Amino acid sequence: MTAHILVVEDSELVTDAFRVLLEGSGYRVSDAATRDEAVSIAARDPVDLMLLDLTLPDGDGLEALTAMQASGTEPGATLVMTGDDHPATRERCLAAGCTDVLIKPVSILELRRVIERHIG
Amino acid sequence: MTMSDAIPPSTPENFQAIISELRTRDALKTQFLSNISHDLRTPLAAIITHAEILREGMFGALNARQLESVSGIVNGGQQLLDMIDEILTYVRSAKDQIELTVSNFQVAEVIDQVTLLNAPLAERKQMAIEKRDGARIPDVSADRDKIKHVLANLVGNAIKFTPEGGRVWVAASRSGDVVTVEVGDTGPGIARENHELIFREFAQVDPSRSRAHHGTGLGLAIAHKFIELHSGKIWVESELGRGSQFFFTIPMTPPAKE
Repeated sequence: MTAHILVVEDSELVTDAFRVLLEGSGYRVSDAATRDEAVSIAARDPVDLMLLDLTLPDGDGLEALTAMQASGTEPGATLVMTGDDHPATRERCLAAGCTDVLIKPVSILELRRVIERHIG
Repeated sequence: MTMSDAIPPSTPENFQAIISELRTRDALKTQFLSNISHDLRTPLAAIITHAEILREGMFGALNARQLESVSGIVNGGQQLLDMIDEILTYVRSAKDQIELTVSNFQVAEVIDQVTLLNAPLAERKQMAIEKRDGARIPDVSADRDKIKHVLANLVGNAIKFTPEGGRVWVAASRSGDVVTVEVGDTGPGIARENHELIFREFAQVDPSRSRAHHGTGLGLAIAHKFIELHSGKIWVESELGRGSQFFFTIPMTPPAKE
């Protein structure tokens, strides 16, 4: 079955670019611009991998993951993509249960490699 | 009301008020720089991703001319992104939001890495980066990423400003508890009156030249800040027409926190 990737990112430009990349790589893609939207998508359509931006209009991206964990709908893997390279940010994401933290900009080759590693 | 209305009249009694008003405005400007840089970064990241998708041939192989053109978008975008990141680094250092993450490492190994990264750039200008000494220095305790950033900036500048076929070298030495790193070049040199100015933000001493080189004018200001955080020193020895030698020092072990 085609793996389902959820892109959580408030910039439509960035979401569109990821959609082109990921659908072009053969994945099924959903997108959410807010924390709440992400949580509701995960609740009705199980997510294999989530690409998560930390800064969302309605809160911290990690809150979306926490809410999914609470309802048992967390994705198989969660990759945070952030421009913040501070080690404390990385630790905070890993402590919240994220699989990996990628520092923006992430080259498409690296992104595809990391995604393949987590969902094959 | 315009901004200029709010500056108190410049009488001696008002000095404190004026200083405080200027500080507030400086902070506002820094915040503006930060916001605008973040906002510029997002669409740029999308542009680069789309161009990379095309360049990698995900939707069909490109012919040579298409590839050249799309690579131009990726490279131009990357260059712009590097400049935006430099502004963001500067903003963080101006707001004192930068801390040292100290580890033990070999200065020689950082020099090797920076040399390797810059080799293609040097080759394009028909020069090789010479490495001198360095190997005998024991581990230093410092912020590896920041020292690498400083060195990369100095080496990048040296290559950028030195004409084709010139020489660029990197050397490291130790004297007691202090490591000194030197980056030299046979470029145009810097007039004595500009030796301090170049470490200030937004300073580029020769407008005609910097325009051709597209810098933010922040590289050396950031380097100065990073070295200062290590309680080290950074300076240049140079004369017009005689090349430049940039030096920085860092203590073998980090300064005690205040």
